Amino acid sequence: MQAVTRQEQKIATRGRLVNAAMVLFARDGIAGTTTADIAKSIRMSHENVFVHFPKRDDLVIAVIDEFGRRLQVEFRQVLEEGLGLRAALRAHLKVLAEFEPFYSRLVIEAPMLPSKVRSTLLMLHAAVSQRLFIALERERKLGRVRRIERPLLFNTWIGLVHHYLVNRDMFANGNSVIAEHGESLVQHFMTLVKS
Amino acid sequence: MPEKCISCGSCGMPMEKPEDFALGDVTQPYCAWCTDARGKLLPYEQVLETNARIYEESQGVTSEAAKRLAQALLADMPAWRDRHSSV
Repeated sequence: MQAVTRQEQKIATRGRLVNAAMVLFARDGIAGTTTADIAKSIRMSHENVFVHFPKRDDLVIAVIDEFGRRLQVEFRQVLEEGLGLRAALRAHLKVLAEFEPFYSRLVIEAPMLPSKVRSTLLMLHAAVSQRLFIALERERKLGRVRRIERPLLFNTWIGLVHHYLVNRDMFANGNSVIAEHGESLVQHFMTLVKS
Repeated sequence: MPEKCISCGSCGMPMEKPEDFALGDVTQPYCAWCTDARGKLLPYEQVLETNARIYEESQGVTSEAAKRLAQALLADMPAWRDRHSSV
């Protein structure tokens, strides 16, 4: 029984670290945040951070993994209910909005981050690309949308979304750029792919 | 924040459904894509190639970039972390 409690504590501590890291990465930048900053923000000893995350990059990846897990839940619903591309795009934006400050920083800093972190982001994008393509193909068979190569489908969508996220200070007055512009981006993209 | 979900010890892919696991067995440490029909882990080069191809096909990145980034991802995975770093 005690072992279960210890495990629960371990999970809770890990969760606190990931949440704190996400907040600081978003506020001060990923490269500009140290493990000491993260530990201090939740009044944890610096050494304890390394018990859960041996390297700082592991914390960055843990936040990206959390984002990926949320995406997986949203996309599963789209797939199971046989919904189309519009629903898949909205599902993507829904999760992006939840992680918007962190994700925007991640996109801005990605070219300078270690290969392992970039690779994790690339794998996440691969999953989004696959889901969008499945949704597109489903609609293409019904004659609703055009045929588009998978990389271009994804890159066109993510290029559009990333432009708004990277420049969110210009597109939204301190608010969520996804909340303000997300639906118009979906509408625009659906117009582009329409057959 | 939920507990970290189970992921493949070779490529890191999250494993949720039984069919995601080798042999459809949820006690297996590796995913169905990193293992053969008997549940044995595939050679490193084959796993690397599969992961690099996923990057290429999904986002159109060059094969060189895809391979370099796939190597970075696999380097710390339990199945491969003891490999020589020059691989």
